[in-house]
Amino acid sequence: MNIKITYNWLLEYLDTDADPYEIQKYLSLCGPGVERIEKVSTKGGLTDYVFDIEITSNRVDMASVFGIAQEAQAILPQFGKKAKLRQNPLTELRFKWMEKFSGEALPLILKVEDKKFAERLIVVALSNVTIQPSDKLIKERLEMCDERSLNNVVDISNYMRIAIGQPCHIFDYDEVKKHTMIVRESTKGEKIMTLDKETVTLPGKDIVIADGEGNLIDQPGIMGGFNSSIQKKTKNIILLIPVFNGAMVRRTAMLTGKRSNAVAYFEKNIDDDRAESATVYCLNLLKQYAGAKQASPIEDYHPTPSKKKTIEVNHQFIESRIGIKIKPAECKRILENLGFHTRYDIRNTKYVITVPTPRLRDIDIPEDIVEEVARIYGYHNLPNSLPPMVNVDPQEGVEQMYEIQRKIKYFLKHIGLHESMNYSMISKELIENMNLDVKHHLKISNTISEELQYMRTSLLPSLVQNIRENQGKKDILRFFEIAKVYYPQDKDLPKEIYKVAIATNTSFADLKGIVEGLLSELHITDYELQNAKIHIFSKNEVVDFAINDSVFGSVGKLSTQLQHKNNLKSSCYLASFDLISLIQNAKTISQYQPINPYATIKLDLNIRADAVTFQKLSQMAKKTSKLLTHIKLIDTFKQTHNVRFYFSSTEKNLTEKEALAELQKIKEVLGSELE
Amino acid sequence: MNIDSVRVSFGKDLTSCTTVKLLEELEIQYLGRNGKINDLLQQIKTVSADKKKQFGMDVNKLKNEIVVALQEKRQQLFAKDDELVSIDVTIPGDKYPKGSLHTTTYAIEEISKIFEKIGFIRVSYPEVDWEYFAFEALNMPAGHPARDDFETFFIDVPPHPKYGRMLLTPHATNAQNREMKRLKSTPPIRMINIGKTYRPNWDVTHTPMFHQFDGVCIDKNMNITQLKGTLDYFVKTFFGPKRSARIRPYDFRFTEPSFEVDVSCGVCLGKGCKYCKAGWLELGGAGMIHPNVLKAGGIDPTIYSGFAWGWGVERVFSMKEGLKVDDLRIVYGGDIRFLEQF
Repeated sequence: MNIKITYNWLLEYLDTDADPYEIQKYLSLCGPGVERIEKVSTKGGLTDYVFDIEITSNRVDMASVFGIAQEAQAILPQFGKKAKLRQNPLTELRFKWMEKFSGEALPLILKVEDKKFAERLIVVALSNVTIQPSDKLIKERLEMCDERSLNNVVDISNYMRIAIGQPCHIFDYDEVKKHTMIVRESTKGEKIMTLDKETVTLPGKDIVIADGEGNLIDQPGIMGGFNSSIQKKTKNIILLIPVFNGAMVRRTAMLTGKRSNAVAYFEKNIDDDRAESATVYCLNLLKQYAGAKQASPIEDYHPTPSKKKTIEVNHQFIESRIGIKIKPAECKRILENLGFHTRYDIRNTKYVITVPTPRLRDIDIPEDIVEEVARIYGYHNLPNSLPPMVNVDPQEGVEQMYEIQRKIKYFLKHIGLHESMNYSMISKELIENMNLDVKHHLKISNTISEELQYMRTSLLPSLVQNIRENQGKKDILRFFEIAKVYYPQDKDLPKEIYKVAIATNTSFADLKGIVEGLLSELHITDYELQNAKIHIFSKNEVVDFAINDSVFGSVGKLSTQLQHKNNLKSSCYLASFDLISLIQNAKTISQYQPINPYATIKLDLNIRADAVTFQKLSQMAKKTSKLLTHIKLIDTFKQTHNVRFYFSSTEKNLTEKEALAELQKIKEVLGSELE
Repeated sequence: MNIDSVRVSFGKDLTSCTTVKLLEELEIQYLGRNGKINDLLQQIKTVSADKKKQFGMDVNKLKNEIVVALQEKRQQLFAKDDELVSIDVTIPGDKYPKGSLHTTTYAIEEISKIFEKIGFIRVSYPEVDWEYFAFEALNMPAGHPARDDFETFFIDVPPHPKYGRMLLTPHATNAQNREMKRLKSTPPIRMINIGKTYRPNWDVTHTPMFHQFDGVCIDKNMNITQLKGTLDYFVKTFFGPKRSARIRPYDFRFTEPSFEVDVSCGVCLGKGCKYCKAGWLELGGAGMIHPNVLKAGGIDPTIYSGFAWGWGVERVFSMKEGLKVDDLRIVYGGDIRFLEQF
């Protein structure tokens, strides 16, 4: 949460020679972050500086002018600035210093149906109020701090909250029927008209305050009821200073979407002590600025006050966690300036620290004390060092996985492909456009868009989308992606499997060449091409890649039907591979082959293209001739392959006659498949 | 044929020779094994004894003249050859394919290298995880308001009896508890987890999927100076030696104390300008690991301490490169005109 306070307001609590900009700089380094500072001159002729301050959720205790003054008292002296509290409302404004109420009281009844609703509720009636515009200073300060000025009474409640950090609410006494306030749980569907004249339907199990006739007069912590609000005619009022159950208030705020300043305080669990000082301060202001007279004793519902808390911390612990030597006297001074009563036990080098009431919710463990000392000492004053080098057992295979991923990415980039990174979540449409079934996908229950509905089980739908959305932007499109897919498992987390996928709008041969190039880069040579039946691909333009009969990827042309379903103007070619299989079969360095000093003899042969697959031809030929090193397709014309055969021996130079004899053997085996 | 006629014919031939190739033929014609100079030397047999010596000297003189002349002519022809060719050197060369990698790939590669050098190992943990690892194990019990800072996508499956709902991890910190357990709750631990993270925000400055790098260092006697030093080392290596890091107090549930880490602005180098907040830019959160987080990982916080940080990959990368992207959604939009630039 952010709060706004002003420099001059701060000076009412703090005696300092620091200017507003010094305060901004030094506080931001050691305490609350002052995000912005604005110099303001009001119509009334006041000049002031408004601080916009970020309050972290553990430090709601400093979300006030006084809270910032307390921080400044500890921080500014570290920078050579004078800083001393002028007053401490939390210790000075107490019931014990007040005159006891005497005289005839206005009746006022407070009933709390369950202790869980509030840790503390202070109520007091006041009479004789005059509703009028606020005093100039109060009005202008509130406006500088983004609070709308309404009238003197309502303004005082806001002014007090900003000064002391305690939300409160003021009711019109005469509109609270039977002068009774009942704090109870709402039932679902109950309605309340709030101050802003909106009717809110309650979700049920909310804290509400009803009057003696059952009218809801307050939705605690969130907004007061309209019926008992302060109006021009108001004469008598009830001041309520509450510490409501933060979790319950927060729940109602989330379910109703109503959020006031007070919610931010209650949900962060403000302490139960400052309510007393806040009451005294409010009473003083109401008397001073609204002519109010106390008209009832103060009723203080406070079933279980927070207990005093002390923490023992070793000096060595503080030094070892901060990483420097620091004098005990300095630690003690820092803590005292923050309001911690601190006793140092020299013999045991131990501090016994009493946590001040505003910090009871935040300070629990010795680490919390380390933070207080370290931040005020100044993080910027600490040296930099590095942890010692150690050997940690890596996760099996993970480093290699990232390394091979990197190799694949750079190889594909260097041969001209573009890496795409798509969302892991895809739409129902994208899934169905690839004839996949949403039932086999994890579904997000609270998505923000139909496009982000299911966890993908294949990278291909996203890549097809990449091709479609880039049609017309470039003639040639070649994308790849390496990412996890998510296979659902019963009663368990999904299997997260890395895939490598490629999509192009070029040709089958182009894509297959990319894949073969990639396999060659990874020194994967002993794979076999297998017939594939994958329904998304054209029947005769698809092939599986396998090692030892285990398929680790496929290449194919997207079927014409799916091409049209996906609104693709031209053919689309897709490849998908298991990254883990690639890694398992990859070699860093390929097998060394001794250089053969003897000549190679090349002989050509024409073979009917429809008679035998190239892979089969190669396998048969190699099996037949030990001297055949490899074969190569020179070209294909009129259904005839022109194939070149390379013969050589590792023992001597072959004669052409010997090579021809080898070719003859191959011809015999091939038989009828020859042209 | 006599010496003078050979000299004269060489002179003619040399004048009419226009290419290096013709010159080589000329050289063979005169100086080759069956060349004219050798022919002349053959004639020595027919020369009278008293003139043999003079004849030999004359032939040799001619030979030397020819050698020198050929050499000179060759140099002339070489020079002429080079002058003959004239091209427009500003015409582009042959094209080779130029692909691209995603900006996030470059960022992750650089970040992991930097931490590798100081002994942080890169790990891999689930992106789809249980609520327990994203929250409870990180000192954020159910219903805690701190969870509001991590808006989360949930998966539509029944909750796990022990670990709660299934979710898309909203931060890369879910690796912490898993890494502690993988190492059998026995420090030292030096981990960097870089992974996809998800939050339900989709606008000019947010994408529903982004990347974080979460670092963890646990050992005996780990302290704030080491956290500062590690992050300052990263900032100087990643952003350059002129930049520096600072830490400010903050509040996170999984660390105590907690820090917000800033890097000095690359434009004004800390003086303050329109691109930064008074000279500094917010990098992300860090802190000393909360004892409850260590305990959840089975590590005794009275023996060990540690520090951790979790920052956005896209965020730090864009701060480095001045990648002024007006709309962050373009990074994962798949537009070739964006992708091909990197």
